[in-house]
Amino acid sequence: MISRTVRRKDMVPITWYIALGSVLFMIGVSGVLLRKNIIIMLMGVELMLNSVNINLAAFSYYLKDLRGQVFAVFTITVAAAEVAVALGILIALVRSRGVFSADKIDTLKG
Amino acid sequence: MLLNYLPVLLMSGFAAFMAGMILYVSSILSPHHPYREKLTAWECGMEPVGDADTGHFRVHFFIIAILFILFDVETLFLLPWAVVIADKSISLLAYIEMFIFIGVLAVGLVYAWAKGALDWI
Amino acid sequence: MERLFFLIFASVAVVSALCVVLFRNPVRSALALMLCLLQVACVFVLLRSPFLAVVQVFVYVGAVMVLFLFVVMILDIRQAELEAFFPPRNRWLMYAIIPVITFEFLLVILGTSFEGFGPGAGGETKVEVIGRALFTEYLLPFEVVSVLLLVAMVGAIVMAKKRWD
Repeated sequence: MISRTVRRKDMVPITWYIALGSVLFMIGVSGVLLRKNIIIMLMGVELMLNSVNINLAAFSYYLKDLRGQVFAVFTITVAAAEVAVALGILIALVRSRGVFSADKIDTLKG
Repeated sequence: MLLNYLPVLLMSGFAAFMAGMILYVSSILSPHHPYREKLTAWECGMEPVGDADTGHFRVHFFIIAILFILFDVETLFLLPWAVVIADKSISLLAYIEMFIFIGVLAVGLVYAWAKGALDWI
Repeated sequence: MERLFFLIFASVAVVSALCVVLFRNPVRSALALMLCLLQVACVFVLLRSPFLAVVQVFVYVGAVMVLFLFVVMILDIRQAELEAFFPPRNRWLMYAIIPVITFEFLLVILGTSFEGFGPGAGGETKVEVIGRALFTEYLLPFEVVSVLLLVAMVGAIVMAKKRWD
């Protein structure tokens, strides 16, 4: 297995994919932690979900296991549902409160 | 095998390049003499009121987009189903499963319809 | 050649992801996110999972981004733009921690040799294989997804309806 890795120089090593996934994940984390705008925070969550999908697909390919891809398909589906609900909450929140900043939403009772 | 996807990449790159070039060249070649009245939004000769980017789009667009997402995801699962359905060994099972799936999603459509989400008023 | 393409896609993805976080205007952030997701779809093609790439373009670039853009258009953009970009001092720790953690991630990942992980010799995964797994082995998750989508849609409509009548 290893000798084949060495022979096929052109293959992208799996570490590159994982590195890309982790960098995208950290960018998403920084988007969630550093920005106040709720829409940008949601986009950061989307970035994090995508980096997880990259990892799933990479391991699915390198382990020759189908489960990673099926799991990624379900992740994407769940992310779509999550975005729909989150943006619905956001619309209700902004219309009733009129703020975009996550810092200003600090009351529990609507 | 990956080479099969190269035309897709080239085509999308070429399309993006063409779009950018058309915008750029037309911005170079067109005469450019702006003044204040010319730059205002054209509202049938009336004085423009307010701005376009202050959130005057209706929430209804959002509801329609939600319905779009729902049926988009449904289509995504129909794609592998359509490939598999020709196989005799699991075709009946897959058929029944997909109709349960579509049925559950149809409940959502009925709900949206009953709530008046589809009426454009 | 494959490495070259991976590097192109990865660098564009990282730069556009940074743009998502750094742009002030949410519309520009959304468009940058769209570019980033397209690059991730290209990475999926490199990983020999074309179905995943199609799904990515279909759902994320198509539907989710439309939803994001609609919401940005519905709400007031200028108000969001006026907000202070950098949060006040109470979050200075984040600026220090995030680069450190990223560096640590990269150090650990690039230092590990995944010896058992040979390159996938087989060709790309066919849609038929995924479909077969989806309708036999993953039957329950598949049906649960429909219920999940139903619940999500009902929830979103209830949330947004409050203001529309």
